[in-house]
Amino acid sequence: MNAVVVPPGWDGGPGWLVLPSPEGAATAVELVERALDEASLLADAPLPMGLGLAAAGWQLGVTQLRAVTERLAQSGVTLVALCSDDPRSRVAAAAIGLQTSPPLPQRPAGAQPPGPAGGPGLALQRGTLRSGDHLEVEGSVLVLGDVNPGACVRAGGHVLVWGRLRGIAHAGCQGDTEARIVALQLRPLQLRIADAVARGPEDSPPAGMAEQASLVEGEIRLDPAQPCWPLAARA
Amino acid sequence: MTAQSSRFILICSGKGGVGKTTLTANLGIALARQGARTAVLDADFGLRNLDLLLGLENRIVYTAQEVLADSCRLEQALVKHKQQPNLALLPAGNPRMLEWLKPEDMRKIAAMVGEHFDYVLIDAPAGIEGGFRNAMAAAQEAIVVTTPEVSAVRDADRVIGLLNSEGVKPIQLVLNRVRPKMMASQEMLAVDDVTDILALPLLGLVLEDEQVIVSTNRGEPLTLGEAGSPAARAYLNVARRLLGEDVPLIDPSQERRGLRARIGRLMQTKIF
Repeated sequence: MNAVVVPPGWDGGPGWLVLPSPEGAATAVELVERALDEASLLADAPLPMGLGLAAAGWQLGVTQLRAVTERLAQSGVTLVALCSDDPRSRVAAAAIGLQTSPPLPQRPAGAQPPGPAGGPGLALQRGTLRSGDHLEVEGSVLVLGDVNPGACVRAGGHVLVWGRLRGIAHAGCQGDTEARIVALQLRPLQLRIADAVARGPEDSPPAGMAEQASLVEGEIRLDPAQPCWPLAARA
Repeated sequence: MTAQSSRFILICSGKGGVGKTTLTANLGIALARQGARTAVLDADFGLRNLDLLLGLENRIVYTAQEVLADSCRLEQALVKHKQQPNLALLPAGNPRMLEWLKPEDMRKIAAMVGEHFDYVLIDAPAGIEGGFRNAMAAAQEAIVVTTPEVSAVRDADRVIGLLNSEGVKPIQLVLNRVRPKMMASQEMLAVDDVTDILALPLLGLVLEDEQVIVSTNRGEPLTLGEAGSPAARAYLNVARRLLGEDVPLIDPSQERRGLRARIGRLMQTKIF
């Protein structure tokens, strides 16, 4: 199967190059190259806002993304965005300056945003998120590592950090007011749950106690974390 | 010595003015004094000044630019240090070179230099844009320099993220311009605060030292002379740790007691 080009819509966004799901031996760069060889695909579509890469099912590292960017640049096309369901690929894309987004939700318009238990599952981020990193997932996210100052995690569901949370965390970013932020050490610059925003506490944290932030009557409150896994609790 | 066994070390920080070039110059001299054949490569093409710090500005005839363009041999461009023949500098080219230099060019240059030296130190420019990415392309490992300031630590953290995503490792940390008095009175970030955030092994702690400014202006790195000043000792220790020696880190809280205590400790070690 070959890659498909979706020209930019009337809203003036980027055009999209949609990769088929990874099957067989072809790498992402080879698929992009094949699409470029079918010159008519890209030549016919004017791309004033650049091109986005939709790569569902792919796990792309910085090296591969940079190779794709360079290959496209040779043909005069600027890669501006990556749409992927793999959080690690999105972190890599953000690191080389691409805009990132999770795949477009394929639910009927007007439907309720899915709750963390019913919706997409748990994304796992291994390793510390450093300053400038930006992680966004549709469901809940578990970070194994710290979230350093200057980094940002956004999740449709819960944000769980097995480490120190010192950056910015946004749980329930699609409006889920039940979402929680839990961390072994909760000292963020800023906390957001759904539409509420709070600054992090400034005093030093109690030693050895996990904390959680939840929305109580429209305000974000910090408590000792409940001794149960939030995903399981709602299942 | 072949390219496989030489070490390509990037010295970077993100933020400017924290002491990358000073560390490169002093570490280069210190390694050379320990007998390692060392090359320092100025990758800061826009604002080159590694040659100034080493006092080699007036000896530069050819630069990396001419080597890449094949208009001279590598040996002609390498400038040997006056007092330390084990150390050579490959000067950066014209500032305009930035526009056409590519990561591949940097890799090519580094590989050429690596054939003749045990250690290749690459002095990265500040920032995280093209110049830094070029410098990073040639490196296998990295030393991140930072000062105990929030902004420097934040920038270092960003740089470490980029190094991680490029697979550069190991990454080690040098904490520069430490003021023990300010640390003790909690006006400055403590060593633990910095290592907590950056989560890197500490390769060295360099105390704030006025002699650094004097030596920079003279073009004679501190490590050239006898290790009298605190910064010179710190740089020499960093070099010894790089060479695999186990040298204990200084404790800033012990360093702040002033000259008298230091003399006292010296005497103690001599007596017992």
